[in-house]
Amino acid sequence: MGEVIDIHTHPVFLEPICATDALLEQRRQAMGLYKAGTASLEHIHNQMRCAGIDRLALLPLDLSTQENQVVVSNEEIKQLIDLDPRHFIGFASVDPYRPDALDVLEHAFGDLGLAGLKLNPARQNFSPASETLEPIYALCLRYNKPIIFHAGLSLEPNTSLRYANPLEFEAVAARYPKLRVCLAHFGFPWVRETAALLLKYPNLYADTGLLYFDSAREFYEEVFTRMLGKYWVDRSLRHQVMFGSNNPRFEQIRMAEALRNLGWRASTLDLVLGQNALEFLG
Amino acid sequence: MFFHKRNSVITNQYNQFIRITEAVISAVKESGIQNGIVAVVSSHTTAGIMVNEALECLESDINDALRGLIPEDHPYAHARILRSYGSTAGNPTGHLKALLTGSHCLFPVAAGEIVKGEAQEIYFMEFDGPSQRSYTITVQGE
Repeated sequence: MGEVIDIHTHPVFLEPICATDALLEQRRQAMGLYKAGTASLEHIHNQMRCAGIDRLALLPLDLSTQENQVVVSNEEIKQLIDLDPRHFIGFASVDPYRPDALDVLEHAFGDLGLAGLKLNPARQNFSPASETLEPIYALCLRYNKPIIFHAGLSLEPNTSLRYANPLEFEAVAARYPKLRVCLAHFGFPWVRETAALLLKYPNLYADTGLLYFDSAREFYEEVFTRMLGKYWVDRSLRHQVMFGSNNPRFEQIRMAEALRNLGWRASTLDLVLGQNALEFLG
Repeated sequence: MFFHKRNSVITNQYNQFIRITEAVISAVKESGIQNGIVAVVSSHTTAGIMVNEALECLESDINDALRGLIPEDHPYAHARILRSYGSTAGNPTGHLKALLTGSHCLFPVAAGEIVKGEAQEIYFMEFDGPSQRSYTITVQGE
């Protein structure tokens, strides 16, 4: 078994960047995680060990123009990476409507050395195919950095399903075949649409950060053996699906275990649990 | 007199037995109370307090018995998104195991010391770890 990477986590409550009760409460409201507490790095390491995870991708959230707040900044991500470079992979966020969006991203890639970009059209209120985004996509291509897009249902406040349908992202995948793009949460509930897009566009990936009903075992079985054909991932999409937990909203340990018990070939599990993330990250 | 303190525990396993008798004995001494009652209470609903003998074989048997009574693979109702949390409820086994152990224990305090049987060990019982936990020790008396 190779390295295991969780490509989708939100470090919003990690103690080093969430030091006051006021900030904790602000972030609870911002994320719609109303009873979350802060988490020490020691606890995160324990959780990773129990889940059999080697590294976490940390995703920030810039809502400068839409909500006048940066929930987690790129600098805070860099702070966490510096504290624990062995376990953390840092992504950048940028509000595409801020006038200095390209400068922010240049700084994130060029100076902070962040590994990719997380965008959330549902929360940041943009269409992925909009011309506004083209310079951002071009910058990602120039730096060879992938993008994780929120796709599908979101339980965060101020989110709409309007820009969350996986089909919204087809134009980006088609227009930028060298841009590696991940549709987070497998685009749930549109998982068949996501599967179709993955089949058509090899530069598209999807993560497994979906646990909207049932237990992890029950829901993964529902999605990956009934909503999708039982063999679809194992046979056809095995190079494009990445393990992501969306922790702390969902359960990293039980999700990782449920994924390991779906009956995929060992080589497919190896790809999904880590190798595909390494390819995605470039 | 009334003495109250909260102890923190960072657990590092999914289910874990943590012996806390020494912490309780120490708190009783710290309280200065000579005669009364000491209560140890878990602050959680998926972590309990248990009193039993501290033997590796018994810990194994208790763990196996709890797992047998409350299996992981079962269609529990507590497996859904909770709107009030904004996150998944996926820990029904933790709630049910904590129900069996209970959330607290009580011991008499006499002549400034906890009165307990020689085999009695107090455990903090983690059923949904790893996590950041706490329990309280309250001593009341004179």
